[in-house]
Amino acid sequence: MNTPHTRVRTAWLLALAGILACAPARSQDAGKAINLLGSFLRQAAPAEAPAQPQPASAGGALGNMLGASLAPAGGGQASRGADLIGLLSQSLEQIDEPKEIEIGRQLAAVLLGSKPLHPDMALQRYVNQLGRWISLQSSRPHLPWTFAVLDDPGFNAFAAPGGYVFVTKGLLDRVADEAELAGILAHEITHVTAKHHLQAIAKTARAGLLTRVIGSQVKGELAGAVSAQFLSLGRDLYSRGLDQGDEYDADRSGVALAARAGFDPYGLVAVLQQLRTATPDNPLFALSLSTHPPAQQRLDLLEQAMGNRLDSFAGQQPITITQRMESLSASRSASAAPASPSPRRAPVKK
Amino acid sequence: MILSKFNRFAWLGSCALLLGSTLAHAQNESVLLKRVAELREAPGESSRSLAALAARTPVTRSGARQGAWIQVRTAEGASGWVHMFDVASASTAAAPSAGANALRGLSSFFNKGSAQGGTTTATSTVGIRGLGAEDLARSQPNMAAVAQADTLRLDADQARQFASGAALASRSVDPLPAPAPVQTTSPANNHNN
Repeated sequence: MNTPHTRVRTAWLLALAGILACAPARSQDAGKAINLLGSFLRQAAPAEAPAQPQPASAGGALGNMLGASLAPAGGGQASRGADLIGLLSQSLEQIDEPKEIEIGRQLAAVLLGSKPLHPDMALQRYVNQLGRWISLQSSRPHLPWTFAVLDDPGFNAFAAPGGYVFVTKGLLDRVADEAELAGILAHEITHVTAKHHLQAIAKTARAGLLTRVIGSQVKGELAGAVSAQFLSLGRDLYSRGLDQGDEYDADRSGVALAARAGFDPYGLVAVLQQLRTATPDNPLFALSLSTHPPAQQRLDLLEQAMGNRLDSFAGQQPITITQRMESLSASRSASAAPASPSPRRAPVKK
Repeated sequence: MILSKFNRFAWLGSCALLLGSTLAHAQNESVLLKRVAELREAPGESSRSLAALAARTPVTRSGARQGAWIQVRTAEGASGWVHMFDVASASTAAAPSAGANALRGLSSFFNKGSAQGGTTTATSTVGIRGLGAEDLARSQPNMAAVAQADTLRLDADQARQFASGAALASRSVDPLPAPAPVQTTSPANNHNN
């Protein structure tokens, strides 16, 4: 007699479970955003914002993440991006890991706004496997490391704070083997672990370029959740490049990191030797050459640092990306098949 | 739906990859010996010496590399292996001091790279061009693509699984010492921030 009752209750519970199951992703983001906002306001208020109060830049990331209903009523609220940059211009210590990741997402959006993700999902997965493995040997193994292949014929690689690493499809086509790619990923991973981009942005912010950036933001309407400041900083950062000293550091530390992950440490050296022969007017190499010190200088410095210290870590049989991906897909299909195929089952599987 | 579109392209992508990798090697590149070195029969310092090569000897790369060693052919037709650090590209090795000493690196360190700042036009021979400053200047931020990239992320266990399948094991490697030029030229604020 309480059957209908139970049924209703069950339906209720199921519905509730459904809501809960869907909810975490959203509520987590929302919670994070609220947290971020809270800490920005707390820190920005007493710290005296470096720039004059700015017209809010369309709510920035916050509005998008929370949805219009939860976003503070636009008006006097400085955008989240502006807050982040305000913090950056004061001290890098104010940028904790969640803020660093948020900055990284904003910069990543700028890169992905100039070139899309490459549609080859197997390739995307492979680069994530390789990169995540290398990042595990880094000083910051717990960052949410995210690797992506940009659909671009040029030869380049980029990183953004918080664990974003991008390589172009043209780069993947041109590396001779996996060790070379590992060397490049390790170089980019080092930019992240050493916070080179954050330092570069902080420098720009402190140099007062920020006000110019804010001035240009009034032009209005921006797609997505990226604040005008980060759009401008990102464009500037990726077309100008990092400090030369940071590049040398990433070369040196990247070589050791790749070796730590089991790769031939000469992978990056081999890439630089290739890069050395590329001319700056080659449009496929133009940006990577103009944003990095000359390859021969990087090689000379690596030679000084490496000597023959790492020679005992070299000597693996080279494996190309194609070979690796073939063996990965072979082992995947092998594990997908039943471990002990019974003769009865085989015909069932078309 | 995005995934199914991706799958359709996947095959095409891997074909391109296959093609690409054959272009990858530094085949037939002419390089010069930076210093006196032995032409080795096989990769490695302990391998038999086939010939002593004088500094500035031109050799041609075969494209093969194993660790620090690259395979080269001399003008006389002898084929063997030399250490990567013992060669330089023909143009750089032609510079006055062929020995890659620290001083040369130091003196040019202060000049921003020669490639720096030159606005290169995209009208060059290749016909296709890579992501450049103009693309970045036009970029409209794409948060949806970032969210999509986030879905590619793998966890530590998945990475370890890949490594064991690929016979990759982590090793203990000491950090490399920073060469003097880098330390003296990267101001203290690099570390204080």
